[in-house]
Amino acid sequence: MNELMASRRRILTGMGAVVALPWLESMGRALAPASPPRRMAFIYVPNGIHMADWRPGNPGALSALPPVLQPLEKLREQLVVLTGLTADKARPHGDGGGDHARALAAFLTGCQARKTDGTDIRAGVSVDQLAASRIGHLTRLGSLEIGAEAGAMAGNCDSGYSCVYSSTMSWKSATQPLPKDVDPRLVFDRLFGQSSDPKAKDRDRVRKSVLDHVLAESKSLAGELPPSDRRKLDEYFNSVREIEERIARAEKLPPAPKPEFGRPAGVPASLPDHLKLLSDLLVLAFQTDSTRVATFVMANEGSNRPYPFAQVSEGHHDLSHHGNNKAKQEKISLINRFHTTQLAYLAEKMKAVREGEGTLLDNCLIAYGSGNSDGNAHNHDDLPIALLGGKAAGIKGGRHLVFPKETPLANLWLAMLDRAGLSANRLGDSTGVLEGLVG
Amino acid sequence: MISLLTSLVLAAAPAPAEVVQSFVATHCKSCHSGAKPKGSLSLEKHDAASIAKDRKAWIQVLERTRGGDMPPEKQPRPAPSQVEAFAAALESIWDAADRAAPRDPGKVTARRLNRMEYANTVRDLVGVDFNPAEDFPADDIGHGFDNIGDVLSLPPLLLERYLAAAEGIAERAIAVTIPPVPRRYLAGRFLHPYPNDLPGTGGRFRPMRPLDANPIYSGPFAAGTDYLKFSSKDDFFLRVRLYAEPKGKSPVKVVLFLSGPKVKNPSPDAEVDKLMGAGLKAIKPIEILKTFEITARDHKKPQEIEFPVNRRDDAQRAGVALLKPPAGEDPPLLFVENIWSEGPMDTRPKSHVMILACSPGKPVAAQTREVVGRFIARAFRRPVTNEEIESYSAFVDKAVAAGQKWEAGVRIAIQAALVSPHFLFRIERGGRPGGTDPRPVSDINLASRLSYFLWSSMPDDALLALATKGQLSANLESQVRRMLADPKADALVDNFFPQWLQLRRLDSFSPDAARFPAFNEPLRKSMREEAMMLFREIVRQDRPATELVTANYTFLNQKLAALYGIADTAGNPMKMKASKPGGKPIPADEFVKVDVSGWPRGGVTNMAAVLAVTSNPTRTSPVKRGKWVLEQLLGAPPPPPPPNVPELKEGGEALKGTLKQRMEQHRANPACASCHFKMDALGFAFESFNAIGAWRDKDEEQPIDATGELPGGIKLDGPRAVKDYLAANRDKFMRCLAEKLLTYATGRGLEPYDRRAVDAILKRAGAKQDKFSELVLAIVESDPFRLRRGREPEESAR
Repeated sequence: MNELMASRRRILTGMGAVVALPWLESMGRALAPASPPRRMAFIYVPNGIHMADWRPGNPGALSALPPVLQPLEKLREQLVVLTGLTADKARPHGDGGGDHARALAAFLTGCQARKTDGTDIRAGVSVDQLAASRIGHLTRLGSLEIGAEAGAMAGNCDSGYSCVYSSTMSWKSATQPLPKDVDPRLVFDRLFGQSSDPKAKDRDRVRKSVLDHVLAESKSLAGELPPSDRRKLDEYFNSVREIEERIARAEKLPPAPKPEFGRPAGVPASLPDHLKLLSDLLVLAFQTDSTRVATFVMANEGSNRPYPFAQVSEGHHDLSHHGNNKAKQEKISLINRFHTTQLAYLAEKMKAVREGEGTLLDNCLIAYGSGNSDGNAHNHDDLPIALLGGKAAGIKGGRHLVFPKETPLANLWLAMLDRAGLSANRLGDSTGVLEGLVG
Repeated sequence: MISLLTSLVLAAAPAPAEVVQSFVATHCKSCHSGAKPKGSLSLEKHDAASIAKDRKAWIQVLERTRGGDMPPEKQPRPAPSQVEAFAAALESIWDAADRAAPRDPGKVTARRLNRMEYANTVRDLVGVDFNPAEDFPADDIGHGFDNIGDVLSLPPLLLERYLAAAEGIAERAIAVTIPPVPRRYLAGRFLHPYPNDLPGTGGRFRPMRPLDANPIYSGPFAAGTDYLKFSSKDDFFLRVRLYAEPKGKSPVKVVLFLSGPKVKNPSPDAEVDKLMGAGLKAIKPIEILKTFEITARDHKKPQEIEFPVNRRDDAQRAGVALLKPPAGEDPPLLFVENIWSEGPMDTRPKSHVMILACSPGKPVAAQTREVVGRFIARAFRRPVTNEEIESYSAFVDKAVAAGQKWEAGVRIAIQAALVSPHFLFRIERGGRPGGTDPRPVSDINLASRLSYFLWSSMPDDALLALATKGQLSANLESQVRRMLADPKADALVDNFFPQWLQLRRLDSFSPDAARFPAFNEPLRKSMREEAMMLFREIVRQDRPATELVTANYTFLNQKLAALYGIADTAGNPMKMKASKPGGKPIPADEFVKVDVSGWPRGGVTNMAAVLAVTSNPTRTSPVKRGKWVLEQLLGAPPPPPPPNVPELKEGGEALKGTLKQRMEQHRANPACASCHFKMDALGFAFESFNAIGAWRDKDEEQPIDATGELPGGIKLDGPRAVKDYLAANRDKFMRCLAEKLLTYATGRGLEPYDRRAVDAILKRAGAKQDKFSELVLAIVESDPFRLRRGREPEESAR
């Protein structure tokens, strides 16, 4: 593996100013290992989906796609729609209101969010971070967390739950939520900042010595603090270690290639542009092997954004409490369709990148869905979940799979890990590896 | 007879414990008692002491009873009034317990600086004012605020940003290579008197012919100091490049001068008369700086003459004039290439000078320790130990040993300090988090608590000096007053009030453009500014805090006034004859105070900003408005919706009527009614304001009905009624405000044991007409702010 990296480094530096390289093309067959690496991406949409317009007819091969899935028509052969999965830990279980907070918290973790206003928040490790803990060290960035809506704006967000729950999809540990990057400019800098900076090596050297120093400081400080303060310091400590590891990795891995993609100026004014730009960066991140694990929250749970460009001027969350009003349900469907159009954009971009024997899409496992099924009933069974890509990992597309009631969503995550070569025994409330994905 | 009387008395005011007793006996006991109580919840012990002790369990009991969850469906349900009586009884038991509890100042967790605090602290510590925290992720919010210690997290992403920010800050603060001194040249042809392309004034050199009648040709030549940019704060050099063509044998002499009505030392007429040039009269008074002999004769080798102009901006012009030759001789011709200024001579950034100031003559290692020691003591907001000074100085020593400049080494030490936990966190060492043992917070820590409360920034030198001497606690009141009067107290206005009233949501408010074409970015900004101006007024003018809701004035610019229909500052309506005298027009871009008595305006409840954030994109939301008033102003937030909000009737025919009528139909369902009764009545009173805060008499062709009734028969009709209601409930409002401000000040949520402290704060504020400064003082002197659990370690040992 080291030889591979070294020769790649030689080739890359030899080429001088470099264009974005597909993962392997520069190396030639002789040096290439058996296949390009697997990537995983998890994409979230809030407030549930109008299931009548989502659910394909019978199980089996996909025939005519219902309105919300229609934008994915060209990707039909790479699409698997899964019906019947349940996120039981998003249910109240005695905690009362707060389905939005719980829905997002439980989606990738399979754990119940602890009901708290802010202090001592707790969920569980999310599947993306589980993967990152295993393969994150192979890339410059362990994982990428992006979204189109920043964290909480004001006040509490959902019935006594901290705002962190309804805006965070990735949890590094049960108590460590990972914030999302919303500004495309900053995402770009994280991915490629070093490549354009000739002084990066010096800067990293200084950073390393600074971090060593503060690590020593925090260790000696910890001894003088009561437990609650120590927890805060631990968080700091862990973050310092993480950055140190990243610097160490950056030293060993080949430098970030300079992409042809221009540096974004900031957050685009229109949401469609914002989502497209974030999608472009996600594809770029995978394409340049800057990371292999990503989460993308298209809108926070409970989001009340209007979608005027989709002819919906009411707030999303308000509409999702439709009370069986047909007009409202139609509007919800329009919003859902807007989101799947964005998904199609992302997947088609990946499909256009040749990689190894197939395309980048073939090497990616993309999961899309929501932790709420019907936004009015706030139910967490019968979730809308779809899988795209992963052909090279054995996923057989073009099908609608129906699972028995109460099948944990977490079983799907275990199956995805399995397909990515990262088997795990348990995740949250999983009961086993979901079967039927492989053709 | 006696027993009848006593029973009457008892019936008139049953003790809370008895209310609980009878409620539990009727509705709960059958399932929740005995050896195997349902849900493993036994309510057998329901005397006052147990209720106080098992508060969490009983809160759950209350929530589920209120939500209609309990008693379960098949059992007889208690009437809403009985539930309320039960709730009130429980509350009063808890109240009494809190008031009798031992003093407990609570525990403040180490608080990470949030974005605002980071930016302000850097500004005050280093003196650079760019926005280093711009790229930081948003701070986590708890209890409604973004400065709550327990809630603020420090993920790797943020640490990365801290590192990058520290580098940027160090780079701006300290110059490793001294930037060149700026120069401003004014070429000959542009000097005064301005020649406007007259012949003989162009070319590289401007000739001066002293005998010419026209000042443009005869001089003196000068440059305006607004162009040369002399300043009262910096040192400059005035320079002129020229050569001469003498006509006689005497040496050619010129003077450099400053001129203008305000020059500090105008030269006497006798001196000025020795100068030549038809333009002299026009530029008096003149201050002659120095006389020079011009020896250059060749345009290939002109001469430069110079004179310092240090820290003065009193002149209008600076220039060169020819001295009269001895009698009988013809004056020489001068050829002036340019006049220029060079400066400020010290191009090191101010921060650089401030940070690197050290005793000259000491060896470098000692200077390092002096500079580094001073910096980290200010950065960590406390005296530092020798070990700490050594460990940071090591960065400088290492850099210098590796051949780098000393300044570069100091930069690295600064970077390290700016990512140290001692900088990023406000840490108060020691203490006994478990027990109470109330002790005073040390002066040093109190200084930080004060400055971050009132300024969202580090303590200034005056505060730190008092604290180091141990004299802060004794001078608390005078310091608080000083701090409130300081411009930095704007941070309190900018950070506390918008968060308390949830106005940050205004940023993401997007009303339907078709329905509300009047809404645009300038209007959004104006809405925000109206609110901010009221908050500033309350703080800066030390108004009673209750004026936040009762004010009969507001601040408007033209745009907002148009939205409200107000024509001038006296509050006359637009499009009508002015009935109130003395009104001035409302300017387009400025905000002015407007008298709105007689209008349904004034106070936070009637502001467009508030009315907007409590609306939906396409219509008003009485529920949101009612909830906002209850939660943010009265401290009585409605409980969260029950877990199973029942679905509305299947195939629901469209509900008819006004919004209010439709919502009445919703409230017909008793499970919803108990909470919505309160929220909706308040919210309906605002129906006269549409979703962007403008007044309306109709909503979708239906006339507005802004009446409602609160439990207890209180009738409300329109926003003025709400204002009156709030004014009449001063206690509730002030308690709510005091609690929120105390939360903000201490950076932690309030606990039951804080009740006593809040009572004391209210009493004190009330005795001084609820003036804002008195409220702040009361908070600063309260237990949660002044005291801590357990003793701090000896400061001297550090």
